[in-house]
Amino acid sequence: MIATRSLVSVVDDDPSVRESLPDLLHELGFAARAFVSAEEFLASDCVEHTGCLILDIAMPGGMSGPDLQHELTLRRRQIPIIFITANGDHTIRPRLLAQGAAACLFKPFSDTALLEAINAALGTS
Amino acid sequence: MRETERLKRCINDLISVLALPAIWTGGDPTHVLSTLLEALRGMLGLDLVYARMNGPPGEAPIEVVRVAGADTFTVRAHQIGVMLDERLGADPRNWPPVTRNVIDGTEVSIVAMPLGLQGEIGALMAGSRRADFPRETERLVLGVAANQAAIGLREARLLSDQKRLATELDQRVARRTAELTAANQGLRKEVAERRRAEDELKRAEEAIRASEHNLQLIINTIPALAWSARLDGSAEFFNQHYLDYVGLSAEQAQDWGWATAVHPDDRDGLFATWQRMMASGNPGEGEARLRRSDGEYRWFLFRANPLRDDNGHIVKWYGINTDIEALRQSELNLRHMTETIAHMTRVMTMGELTAAIAHEINQPLSGIITNASTSLRMLAGDPPNVDGALETARRTIRDANRVSDVITRLRELYTKKEAAAESVDLNEATREVMALSLGVVQKDGVIPRTELAADLPRVTGDRVQLQQVVLNLVRNAVDAMSAVEGRPRELLIRTGRDEGDRVLLTVRDTGVGFQRESADRLFDPFYTTKTSGMGIGLSVSRSIIESHHGRLWAALNDGPGATFAFSIPCEPVGARVESLVNSA
Repeated sequence: MIATRSLVSVVDDDPSVRESLPDLLHELGFAARAFVSAEEFLASDCVEHTGCLILDIAMPGGMSGPDLQHELTLRRRQIPIIFITANGDHTIRPRLLAQGAAACLFKPFSDTALLEAINAALGTS
Repeated sequence: MRETERLKRCINDLISVLALPAIWTGGDPTHVLSTLLEALRGMLGLDLVYARMNGPPGEAPIEVVRVAGADTFTVRAHQIGVMLDERLGADPRNWPPVTRNVIDGTEVSIVAMPLGLQGEIGALMAGSRRADFPRETERLVLGVAANQAAIGLREARLLSDQKRLATELDQRVARRTAELTAANQGLRKEVAERRRAEDELKRAEEAIRASEHNLQLIINTIPALAWSARLDGSAEFFNQHYLDYVGLSAEQAQDWGWATAVHPDDRDGLFATWQRMMASGNPGEGEARLRRSDGEYRWFLFRANPLRDDNGHIVKWYGINTDIEALRQSELNLRHMTETIAHMTRVMTMGELTAAIAHEINQPLSGIITNASTSLRMLAGDPPNVDGALETARRTIRDANRVSDVITRLRELYTKKEAAAESVDLNEATREVMALSLGVVQKDGVIPRTELAADLPRVTGDRVQLQQVVLNLVRNAVDAMSAVEGRPRELLIRTGRDEGDRVLLTVRDTGVGFQRESADRLFDPFYTTKTSGMGIGLSVSRSIIESHHGRLWAALNDGPGATFAFSIPCEPVGARVESLVNSA
């Protein structure tokens, strides 16, 4: 059973997200890892095993969420991506979805909305 | 017997006379004559005896007389000399052996004889009252005495001549020596003076060289580009810094060559400034970019001063160019920053501000919801994960406090800030706000109108904060009218005097208005009737107005819509003047 658990990786510069989200993901039945930046994620061994990526859009000082998405495309590593953002501008959602994102959630989001997005991304329900 | 005695006496006298030269040795003619006459008068018992020695041609003779009794004869030596010449003739060789003469009333026998063969040396005369004078022996003694005298006088004269010559020579030598010494001293003084002059000249030259060197050093060391120009504006001199900076030789930069280093865009402006400066004859300045030898252009401040002669005519221009690139850059940055901040604070409406605030709050809020969800799920498990639930619940509380902190910080931003105290023309501030928000206002089909009182007193306060309040009221009015259909969307902004030295600003709209019972809550933080925004705009606005010692309120119109207004005290200058008038 444990071996079949999908790995969900979280990349967010906000410490409260990195702290809270993995616990919720465990409760929801996933394996979870959190990274402070896109660079840290790319350097880890999780790139190959991640089934779904929960990715912050704006991370000051380094690669942004869309930058990482682009980088993975270049590496031919197709990971379903759920973007999350604290920015209230809802007009970015269609653009992100058009560019291949699995979902786009606005903080704060509910656990059910998250679960739905992950299931959709992993193609399970 | 008497004859024998006379002879004996004569021989004695002769011996005495012959001895006379011994006492003359080294004596002068006067001494010779005096001793001779004394001896003869004594020996021969003469009443009168006279001698003369001729002086050199043109000079008076030396004459001496001796008498036996001073009461009998008072004749003077020179009178005797004259008498002899008159009575006996000029040639002594023809003189008679003896003559009788009356002198001073007394008859005397006179014997006169020449000194020297021709009488060239002088004459000797002996006189006696005795009628038998002279006897043979007496004539003999006189003759020998005359001979002796001639010899003695010749010697004495010779000696005296020698002495005189020696003295003269000595004197001449002394004079010449003195002259030479004087000349030598003069020469030495002259040499010393010349040397001193040369030294001084050398020192002066050295000083000039040193000061020239110093000037050169100063000119080439000062951290600026220094130059001089002729009356027609063409350049004459450049310091080394200048030439090094532009990378031109002195010849290349001469006249107008330097202009090639001026940025093409700045050239005309700089030349115009330069021409104006030269025409006015006053010191002046201009700014332009100068190309450095590596091709980079840097901004310089060109400053020039005229040099005038005693008549006040300009002779030359001296100038200095200072690198102001850094200054210019920081000025530009500052201006840009100021503009950005001003723009941001003016254009950023409360709605936009709330978006930024929302981002700040959504981060911890997200943590709260996630943790709360996790906590619930842990408790709902079988068996429930109580420890995990407790941990996540603790995080929930912590994140909620974070949200609270953010809000406190935001409120402090407006409430605790001391308003900048500057003199503000509220009409002008309002016109600026309207100009900035005209696009938004007109996009919504709102017709804006302003009625700004012409005699509005100025207020003291923070211009930007007051503009923020006006902007917020305008945006609120526009938002309130966005859903209005079927009647004109009118916006009226009015300024005017309020009672009690206050200024009043009202913003009146024809929008949806508000619930009469919620009028008090409008200004509470986070109270909003709008679908967007967080409801802190009016709260912040009221904080700003209160910090200006004013009041902000809202009222429903008689017709549709609402009016928001604030009233703040006008500048205290008027009040102060009034109190002065009252006290006077």
